[in-house]
Amino acid sequence: MTPKQRARRRAARRYRTALLFMSPWLIGFAVFILYPMLASLYYSFTNYDLLSTPRFVGLENYRFMFTKDPRYWQAMRNTLWIIAVGVPLQALVALGTAVLLTRPRRGSPVYRTILFLPKMAPAVAAALAFVFVFNPVTGPVNQLLDTAGVDKPPLWFFSPVWSKWGLVFLGLWGMGQTMIIYLAGLLDVPRHLYEAADVEGAGPWQKFRFITLPMISPALFFSVVTGVIYGFQYFTEAYVASFAIAGQPTGSAAAEVGSPQGSLLFYSLYLYVKGFTDFRMGYASAMAWVLFLITMACTLLLIRTSRRWVHYAAGGFR
Amino acid sequence: MTVLAPKVDRALPAARAGIRRRPEPAGVRRRRILMEAGNHALLVAVSAIFLLPFVFIVLTSLMSDQQALTPALWPRPFHFSNYAEVFRQSPLLRYTWNTFVIASLSTLGVVVSCVPVAYALSLLRWRGRQAMFLVVLSTIMLPIQVTVVPLYIIFTRLHWIGTMKPLIVPLFFGDAFSIFLLRQFFLTIPQELVDAARVDGASEARVMTSVVVPLAKPAIAAIALFQFLYAWNDFFSPLLYLGENKDLWTLSLGLADFRGQFHTQWNLTMAASVLFMLPVILLFFAAQRVFVEGVTLTGVKG
Amino acid sequence: MKLINGKAWPVATAVILAMTACTAGDDDDAGGVEVLDPEGDHQPVTVSLWVPFTGREFDGLQPVFDGFEAQYPWITLDVTEGVEDDDQVVAAIRAGNPPDAVMSFSLDSVGQFCDSAAWQNLEPYIEASDMDTSVFPEAVTRYTTFGGSTCAFPFLTDAMGLYYNIDMLDAAGISEAPTTLDDLRAAAESLTVRAPDGSIEVAGFVPWFGYSQFTPMEMSVIWDADWYDEDGKSAVASDPDWAEMFEWQRDFVDFYGADNLNRFVAGQSDEFSAANDFQTGRVAMNLDGEWRTSFIADEAPDLPYDTAPFPVPADNDDRYGIGRVGGTIIGLPRGSAHPAEAFALLQYLATDTDAVVTASNSIGNVPSTHEALESPDLDQPPQFQTFLDIFANPDSHYKDTSVVGASDQELLAAFAERWQAGEIDDLQAGLEDVARQIDDEVAQAG
Repeated sequence: MTPKQRARRRAARRYRTALLFMSPWLIGFAVFILYPMLASLYYSFTNYDLLSTPRFVGLENYRFMFTKDPRYWQAMRNTLWIIAVGVPLQALVALGTAVLLTRPRRGSPVYRTILFLPKMAPAVAAALAFVFVFNPVTGPVNQLLDTAGVDKPPLWFFSPVWSKWGLVFLGLWGMGQTMIIYLAGLLDVPRHLYEAADVEGAGPWQKFRFITLPMISPALFFSVVTGVIYGFQYFTEAYVASFAIAGQPTGSAAAEVGSPQGSLLFYSLYLYVKGFTDFRMGYASAMAWVLFLITMACTLLLIRTSRRWVHYAAGGFR
Repeated sequence: MTVLAPKVDRALPAARAGIRRRPEPAGVRRRRILMEAGNHALLVAVSAIFLLPFVFIVLTSLMSDQQALTPALWPRPFHFSNYAEVFRQSPLLRYTWNTFVIASLSTLGVVVSCVPVAYALSLLRWRGRQAMFLVVLSTIMLPIQVTVVPLYIIFTRLHWIGTMKPLIVPLFFGDAFSIFLLRQFFLTIPQELVDAARVDGASEARVMTSVVVPLAKPAIAAIALFQFLYAWNDFFSPLLYLGENKDLWTLSLGLADFRGQFHTQWNLTMAASVLFMLPVILLFFAAQRVFVEGVTLTGVKG
Repeated sequence: MKLINGKAWPVATAVILAMTACTAGDDDDAGGVEVLDPEGDHQPVTVSLWVPFTGREFDGLQPVFDGFEAQYPWITLDVTEGVEDDDQVVAAIRAGNPPDAVMSFSLDSVGQFCDSAAWQNLEPYIEASDMDTSVFPEAVTRYTTFGGSTCAFPFLTDAMGLYYNIDMLDAAGISEAPTTLDDLRAAAESLTVRAPDGSIEVAGFVPWFGYSQFTPMEMSVIWDADWYDEDGKSAVASDPDWAEMFEWQRDFVDFYGADNLNRFVAGQSDEFSAANDFQTGRVAMNLDGEWRTSFIADEAPDLPYDTAPFPVPADNDDRYGIGRVGGTIIGLPRGSAHPAEAFALLQYLATDTDAVVTASNSIGNVPSTHEALESPDLDQPPQFQTFLDIFANPDSHYKDTSVVGASDQELLAAFAERWQAGEIDDLQAGLEDVARQIDDEVAQAG
């Protein structure tokens, strides 16, 4: 066999192994994912009320979405805002607390559990607790601001300007999962690198910038990408908070979703309302595919820029 | 600046064990203690803030039905009986068991199926790998609200509605989030270790199980924990697939047992929520040792 | 970078085609319907019913279900409680295994249910069984029909009226409940108490959209504002009653100050708790539903209050006595396995006097038939009578059913929120904007 033939055979074998390893996902993808994805793409070109047969309408849904639906753009703006503000803030806070937790010390497990606790609370309980804590009149936050001398503390969830900040804080409160990921990454950094830097006289900031950050950049990349992807699909917290504010148990038709003044109308929330409450599944599917394309575009952008700052395993960039 | 990566870093701990440290000078020691104290104070402050909403949840769970709806902070009187009452009004033990079954089985599925896939996407070299990674990633970009309708139809045809199968079986075929996370961690494993094992004649499966998996234990523990937690707290999917079969309800659905047409018993809902959280808190406490202390114990990282 | 190689497209197309085939052919068969023959042999049969009630309310309905089984001894009822979200029902209908009968809170979805025949048209059943639908007050027809088809019956109903605190009114020198909106405004002003810093301590009445039951929907009934004109187009801009209503409301809000009122509303306790604003005297008068009488009897039995129909505009005072009505609905899902038995169940739940009265006593809603309204067995506080009268009043109504579900209300409510916060200068232009959006939505759903 020539070297070339050998190489080709090796490549073929690698390919077979790869396919074998990928097989669980490939099968599941074909059955549980591809069909629903294609079905929803089809629905996006139809008028589908979930109860009758879908009726083909071509690009009508998309046309309506882009030209006749002001709530669509409001939902888009709100979603972009929460991603632009929430993702970096959460990364910062999670990284900060993770760094604080890297040193082994007494009580570490307790701190870690407390900081992860919010992630373990059911969404309804968590959102309700937050709406209570941020209640403009009776909640502890404003009472604190009051004693601190603030004249007219924000109305938080009752104000269109401040309501999203309430959700940002809710998100920060739930940063435990991101923190754990960073923690695992931080602990992965070989100690000798820091010691070598110490020997060369590096200060703490330099160590952080040239050792820590690159070594955890894969984890950072992961959290930013998933933060953006899931940010576009931001749903549960806003859904539950909206209803908690309206004072109704979840699911009541009287509550206006997204209030106050639509400031909490997020893309996925609007999509859900249109699809299930308004029986416009075709329209919701069109919204979903536009979201898909936007998310894909953002992710590709992140992946492309990642070549410059994400560093994989001692041995270069990938 | 390039990062140093000596090949023998993993062998250092053994050597270092025999070294005794020089005692610290007093000035350095004082600075260190101050920094530690500062760190501690910061952690305490952050923890206190984080606990505030939980204080609300626990206090509410001890209030009477009526008082729970008022802005009052302190239960008057304390209704510890609420914790017994929730079991009377709702078959919580059965729900707990159901939730435990679904969460454990789906976690098992995720771990078993995602490791090979992530391995293929990170440590095997093959054409189309990058594109396939993108496809995997793209599967989480479509909101679940939209794929749920066709998915529901599939499960109806399979006669899986009203059973736990839709919540467990798909997880044995991979989960994009977990695959992504594992891939990132696998990529931080030095290529030399992997290549060394291959050169020794190990099959890819062998390399995966004896080299990569032990090194990636923190990451695997992490995805297991996240999946368990996600399944434990999931509301939307159990609602859709188990909604009509009350015998199989999970805890998150059970929280809805305390809801009336107008009037929710928030005190009981909060009490049930606290009980809901206890098992995962214990799980987390135990699990964190795996990816924190487990790492230092194996002596892999200096 | 190619994501899908050339061979995948035919596969994808095949999948789509197969799926189209699967979704077609789901229409129900037209033709005659069967109804139960009271005489004759009957095989034992189980009829399934999904209800949104749960817990104590559900337990309170047991006698009603037992009563049905007693009347039809060969039928066993299998009732599933707690089905509050429509998602499950819709999914079940879609998948072809719905319950035999279903109960829902989603009053706004009637238009959609009728239009798509997801809930079967009951007219044929009504005819075949010689059912007399005049037992229902007029208001019922408007909210259970769409496009000539009746696809729902009421299961009890709700009615909205004015609650007022007698002692507070006496103290302010007001001897009887206001009957016109001008009276209401005057009364509210004299009943309002402010704190030294200008914030509101006690509000005479809260005209804030989103507070309690005060919504554009409610006000549309009071002002007799039409949602749609004869051509089916949105009338929010063309019917002058809307503009008048909004002007009146904003003027009322300005008395309190929008920011003050917002803070007052934000500081309230849960509407359905014992610390409810009206029950604690934080507001003197309130627009609320008939269920409030049960809450007060339970939680604040010493509250000196009474009820009356909600005040109407002064130039329309002959309409006094009306109110917004409409509530839980029941229907026959498409694909119901036992339609004849299920229809008998629907008929029973909606019209059997004993059943309706028992349900009303237990849940605290208004009974749905004339006979039940006048039954001596109704066991409710005296203040409940107002709501019985409101429901019996032929001019009380809900709103025209529409295919866009609650979309039209949502769009108007979003506008109303910005309006009351003072963010909209040109009312007419704003209303025209909303009308256009509603029309667009209706056209799209068409």
